[in-house]
Amino acid sequence: MKGLKLGQFVRGNSIIHQLDPRTKIIVCLVVIFSILINYKWYVILLNMSLIAAVIILSRIEPAKILRSLRKLRYLFLLTFIFQSILTSGEPLFHVGSVYVTREGVSLGVSTIFRLMILYLCSTLLTMTTSPLKLASGIESLFAPLRRLRIPVHQFSMLISAALRFIPTIIEEAQILTRAQRSRGAQFNSPSVIVRIKSMAAVLIPLLAASLQRADDLAAAMESRCYTGGSNQIRISKLRFGKKDKLALGLVSLVFLVFVFCI
Amino acid sequence: MPVIEVKDLSYTYCPGAPYEKKALDGVTLSVKRGEFMGIVGANGSGKSTLIQHFNGLLCPDGGKVIICGQDTSVKQRRDELWKKVGLVFQYPEQQLFEATVFEDVSYGPRNLGLGPREIRIRTEDALKKVGLEPESIADLPPICLSGGLRRRVAIAGVLAMQPEVLVLDEPTAGLDPLGRDMILNLIKKLQQEDRTTIVMVSHSLRELLTLADRIAVLENGKLVATGSPKEVLHQKDFLALPGIIMPDYLQLIHALAGRGKKVNTGISAMAEAELEIDRLLKEICGK
Repeated sequence: MKGLKLGQFVRGNSIIHQLDPRTKIIVCLVVIFSILINYKWYVILLNMSLIAAVIILSRIEPAKILRSLRKLRYLFLLTFIFQSILTSGEPLFHVGSVYVTREGVSLGVSTIFRLMILYLCSTLLTMTTSPLKLASGIESLFAPLRRLRIPVHQFSMLISAALRFIPTIIEEAQILTRAQRSRGAQFNSPSVIVRIKSMAAVLIPLLAASLQRADDLAAAMESRCYTGGSNQIRISKLRFGKKDKLALGLVSLVFLVFVFCI
Repeated sequence: MPVIEVKDLSYTYCPGAPYEKKALDGVTLSVKRGEFMGIVGANGSGKSTLIQHFNGLLCPDGGKVIICGQDTSVKQRRDELWKKVGLVFQYPEQQLFEATVFEDVSYGPRNLGLGPREIRIRTEDALKKVGLEPESIADLPPICLSGGLRRRVAIAGVLAMQPEVLVLDEPTAGLDPLGRDMILNLIKKLQQEDRTTIVMVSHSLRELLTLADRIAVLENGKLVATGSPKEVLHQKDFLALPGIIMPDYLQLIHALAGRGKKVNTGISAMAEAELEIDRLLKEICGK
């Protein structure tokens, strides 16, 4: 894979990068909920313009994000096709006994946009927030759950470790793919069984290496006295500043009005 | 006719991204049939990127790579190259995946579509070449072997395909001295007895000085010197090159020369250095 890895953190110093991770997570949740509750065109438009604004402010090249959207094109296409033929309503045209309805087409288009918004907003979150900050944000947001004896710290450690190793594992998969290809593994063979067997040649060593690494990581953490308890202190404390209050206030207000009132 | 011909090759990782990196920049190189070519360079100098072009894993961004008379910019030819060029990756022991050593070593031959008899012969032959007893090791699972043994099994997996050209990326990294000598002897034997063309990447100049017929030096994606070990030592001041350590005996010779002693700095082998120092000592004692 040449190019940027999906949702990989891009170091930067823009306003979006500087925001508190909690703000970004909450806004992300607001966007996701709004688009799940209400998918009228103006809510989609509002979300798209918010995402566009974030992309511009974060100074991430838009072309790169759009390119990553291309990977989802089949999902979009299938969604659109199924929505447009399976929704009942006023028929537009038909092929044999399959009717394409007006309601279906409009639902299909809005579903594509909703999927796109879900994808973009989570991608932007991970692209502009370092895994460490993301984890401390999650931990801080879920802190009240500690009263219910839910291991919040361990949970956030889990997430940050997982996020941290995504690029590593992708890189490793790449090397293994190449190594097996040079031993004749056929990843683009017309036969599905051959393809699956070739994939196994990559997945088995990849899994073995991941387990090994998990073991090493645990040993390294324990050797530095990590116990996973609550007596951990983060080096950089999260600060919920003026910018965050402003951003959060603005977004919540606009969304409340749009989603519930209009 | 050269087996490997590289003309003005350029390759860029992540073009257009903030992480854009020009890994190779105008590299021109050729390897003759039956030759032992050493490629030396610091980390990130483009060695691994270069050799991945040799068996069609990467497609040149600029310039040409011609392997066994085939231009690798054609995808179809690139996909067939693995049959001719065996590539041993860095830490190849990490790619073992089958349940037994035999099955893993025979993975390549099986993909070549050979018959079961030929597969058995080649697999056992390859295991013997890397100094392993097929009878005692073939049915063991690779996981229960030590790191050094697993490395040998992985190399056998590439040898079993009997490639015309064998490309190795730091085959001795992380091995103990015994394992290192074993692998290096094996590679030299392959060149001398089986007439296999060898390309070996290393950042140990010492290994390559004793083994290679010719050495190419990469620095920041550019080819800065190429030729026989002596020529390369003459062309390039390795003492000033970061990331590559001169063999200790050459460091000594250069240090002596730096102090005004009359020594021949145009040598490459350890035996020559010994003679030089012996001569120098006799000269001093004679006075």
